[in-house]
Amino acid sequence: MKRLALDELNLEAQPGAFAGILMNSSRDLVTRVCQGDQEAFRLIFDRYSRPVIGFIYDMVSDRELAEELTQETFVRAFRAIHRMKPETKLSTWLFGIARNVARESLRARTRANMQVTLEHESVMDVSDQKPVPVDRLLSKELNELIRRALEALDDDKRLVFTLKVFHQCSYEEIAEITGFSLAKLKTDLHRARAEMRRRIQPYAGVGYEV
Amino acid sequence: MKCESCQEALEEYLDGELGDREAREIAAHLAACSSCAAETATFAAEQELFSRYDRDLAIPSSLWEQVAERTATPAMPPVSENGFGARLVALFRVPSFAFSFAAVALLVVFALVIYATYLKTQKPKPFVAQTVTPRESSPKEQPPAPVPSSSAEPQKHIALGNQNSVRRKLHAVKAINIEQSDVLSSDFGVQDIEDQETAKHIEQTQNLLQSIRNVKLNDNDVEIDVSYDKALSRRLLNENIVLRRDAEMKAKYPTKMLLSDLEPLLIDIANLPDQAKPEEVRVIKDRVQKTEIVAALIGY
Repeated sequence: MKRLALDELNLEAQPGAFAGILMNSSRDLVTRVCQGDQEAFRLIFDRYSRPVIGFIYDMVSDRELAEELTQETFVRAFRAIHRMKPETKLSTWLFGIARNVARESLRARTRANMQVTLEHESVMDVSDQKPVPVDRLLSKELNELIRRALEALDDDKRLVFTLKVFHQCSYEEIAEITGFSLAKLKTDLHRARAEMRRRIQPYAGVGYEV
Repeated sequence: MKCESCQEALEEYLDGELGDREAREIAAHLAACSSCAAETATFAAEQELFSRYDRDLAIPSSLWEQVAERTATPAMPPVSENGFGARLVALFRVPSFAFSFAAVALLVVFALVIYATYLKTQKPKPFVAQTVTPRESSPKEQPPAPVPSSSAEPQKHIALGNQNSVRRKLHAVKAINIEQSDVLSSDFGVQDIEDQETAKHIEQTQNLLQSIRNVKLNDNDVEIDVSYDKALSRRLLNENIVLRRDAEMKAKYPTKMLLSDLEPLLIDIANLPDQAKPEEVRVIKDRVQKTEIVAALIGY
């Protein structure tokens, strides 16, 4: 029942993740970058920039900031790629860097401001609207609904939820990326799912018949 | 399996994180329990809903250009962006002259520490008793006392074989405690550590030159043991060069001139054979007297 651990299966399932040349395995690309091959790093960027920017966007909820932090993530990755352990998956490693970059950025924001934003703009506004069944929601509205529900999660829950639900990382990978224990990430994930369900349920209807 | 147990493990089951045996048990329960199966369907619908989440993010072409610009140089050996090492490096990174200055400052401090440690480990210096009250001392009042040679050394047996030979130790009174050298430094009122080093150096050189100036040469002497003075002179010569350059750099011209005058004498003493002939010692002694270098040192 264990999911097959195909290399970069998760990330390459993302739209646009095949922008690079499929003939190059991630391990080969890393080796080439370490040998000074800039083109190989370009291929890594092409392959992983979309999932990385998506992950960062889920964490910071700001498009321009997500682009800026994605740039920072790849620059740091380039500078540290010599340190990457051979047994580490490139995607996991990149997500780990992205997570650090995003968390540093989040730390810079004041918690109070974030809470005010969430309370007054996001969740409350949506909650005040008359629920519409999810099958009638336009994709734009659905996206907004999910985005605001995500924003309402605390950082740790949003992190594990995003990695599991949007990026299909295994528990082991999430633990590696976040540094959380298995027990903590399971608890956070369970609570995050419950919170998301509670926020979306009014719009989803019974059984989420989409 | 009970429904409670099934629902506890349902998320892990649907996440594909359960082992084969547990997964088979859950699957069997779901096939038989409509309530838990409905829960599973809800969970699956949730997953489907989230899979439709589109952030509508595009990768702007400029993004790679910016990354490429910042990674134009080949990947360097790893340096953590957040670690202590990186922060330490950052302190010295910009501007470039700051690094040079810091490096020079560190080298100077390091050299001074080494030098201070070295001085502390030195053996007692001769004739300190003279230097404590230099103006009151008279060369005639403090003649170097002859020291009997050890019969255990073959070379000295040769010297002793001739009754005319007198072996002299120029550092005969070196047993006198030299701790007062610190008092001498404090008498100068020197605060700066470099000035203290210079003062100590000059004091030691003064002692050496006084011992040379005061030596009584007997025409009957065959050779004079100057090995100690020679070794001391070599050490002082090295110090002298460093201090002279330092004084020059800091525009301390009187000090620099004094140290420049010392160097030829120190070189000559350092080049003496261990068993010097009286004529060789006399030449140096005469030069010390003529140049009145000792007086200049006392006046420093």
